[in-house]
Amino acid sequence: MKEIITMWKNTRMIILVALSAAIYAAFLIVFKGGIPIVPGITEVRPANVFPPVFGLLFGPAGAWGAAIGNFIGDLFGGTLGIGSIFGFFGNFFLGFIPYKMWGATFGLVKKDDMSQTTDNVSKIIAFELVALVSSAACAIIIAWYLDIAAIVPFAFLSITITVNNFAAAFILGPILLVLLYPRVKRWGLIWTDIMNKEDVGKAYGKTLGSILMIIGSLGGLIVGILVAVGAAGQELYGFAGQQGQAAVWLSVLPFLLMILIASLMLSGREQFVEVMEEEEI
Amino acid sequence: MDSEIYLDNNSFIHRLDPRVKIIIFLLTFVAILLFENPLWMLPIMVLILIQLFVSGAVKNLRRIRYILIVLTVSSLILWNLFSTGETQLFWRISLESMLFAIARTMLMVLMISTGMILISSTRNEELINGMIKLGMPYRVGFAISTALRLVPTIASSTVTISQAQRSRGLDLESGSIFERIKKFLPLLVPVFISTIRSTNIFGMALESKGFGAREDRTFYLEFTMGTADYIVLTLSILFVLASIYFAISGYGRIDGLIRF
Repeated sequence: MKEIITMWKNTRMIILVALSAAIYAAFLIVFKGGIPIVPGITEVRPANVFPPVFGLLFGPAGAWGAAIGNFIGDLFGGTLGIGSIFGFFGNFFLGFIPYKMWGATFGLVKKDDMSQTTDNVSKIIAFELVALVSSAACAIIIAWYLDIAAIVPFAFLSITITVNNFAAAFILGPILLVLLYPRVKRWGLIWTDIMNKEDVGKAYGKTLGSILMIIGSLGGLIVGILVAVGAAGQELYGFAGQQGQAAVWLSVLPFLLMILIASLMLSGREQFVEVMEEEEI
Repeated sequence: MDSEIYLDNNSFIHRLDPRVKIIIFLLTFVAILLFENPLWMLPIMVLILIQLFVSGAVKNLRRIRYILIVLTVSSLILWNLFSTGETQLFWRISLESMLFAIARTMLMVLMISTGMILISSTRNEELINGMIKLGMPYRVGFAISTALRLVPTIASSTVTISQAQRSRGLDLESGSIFERIKKFLPLLVPVFISTIRSTNIFGMALESKGFGAREDRTFYLEFTMGTADYIVLTLSILFVLASIYFAISGYGRIDGLIRF
């Protein structure tokens, strides 16, 4: 995770944070209503395609951009509140997980071509996987806190955010990446072309890290919902009635820790392979 | 867009140091979250209402009234469904769940109001400068303030591109959800490309002016805490400490409430 700090040394990475935040916020504001799935409850926000795309193209700058962009969206939209704080962290992970997991998608992205685009079927599947995992991670981070604070119930919000995040990324993400990657690459703005490999944290068991990330995100979502609705979890964990909130809090917490540990295990260094080859030539 | 949210008034709240306003903003969140009984939330509600009227932020709140109405209605329904109590009123609604739903709705609306007071009475540069003075690294502050300045430009070019594409026959309102999402592609790509392509020139311009050369930087905009700032800050801290004391002592709960 070292790179989320070291990137602030680099002027171009700082500018990419600002620009990606501004693009994300602008789309959030202009298309605030989104496309309703269930009117008044769930909508698809087209802007939500940006965090995973930014994450893959701009690495840590994309993650910070997503976090700051969401915060600015709240600021301009007049919905700045306590939710904005965890919205910041949730959206950070929405951009962070894709670039961390990209090189650890169980062989879907080959070692000899780690380019952050979706120019073949296996990379499209890899993109959908990282987009789904990051959508769920973002959802449980925000919903977990808002449930503890008793602002919005977990069972309601976690599903809503996962659907909102993933729907746009699922449909638009692969097309957007394949269109944008060649241009961004030509301008020398892919994060692996800007940052030094040494400034990126080392990997400690990539595959295990990836598995932990998937369990942490999707498992946390499923278990959290089960406990929240009381289908099985409340009996399983022995909480009921007044302690219902504690049940959700305790059941989701280990999964959040898993996401954090996985973030430390995964790297992103492996994506520097192209640069190394060019240097060797 | 900035000028639309920020209100160029000269109220008492406008004149407070941005650092004080940021701290009050955070303290208010703590105070709001302490109680589950709406009656115990009344003091903080009164304080927020006074700030809303003094700063004039109530005008901005009126602009987002539809969001507030949707939030209020959905919150009242949802929290009644996610809680119950001993005193049954009708259907699945009990007196305790009703009180709890009212408190949660108040909480959400008050939080939005608090945010609105801050951004209606503080300019972007003051807000960022205040955050930097409170310990945020200036590089992060620069990224946020640049993004804040760019948002109106990008939002307006998004609207222009949207109108241009609509005039060419793009219809964002029809078709299945799948088709409608795909229709956003002709908007996303030009906005992204036109914004990101300036990164290298932007970087060169900044570095030529010495950006990042030193760990610290100086600012044209400097603040000094006045007597009013210290008084307001002290009173706010005392208010929150008193609220914490009452909450720890067991006040502000709803007896008989069962939350799922």
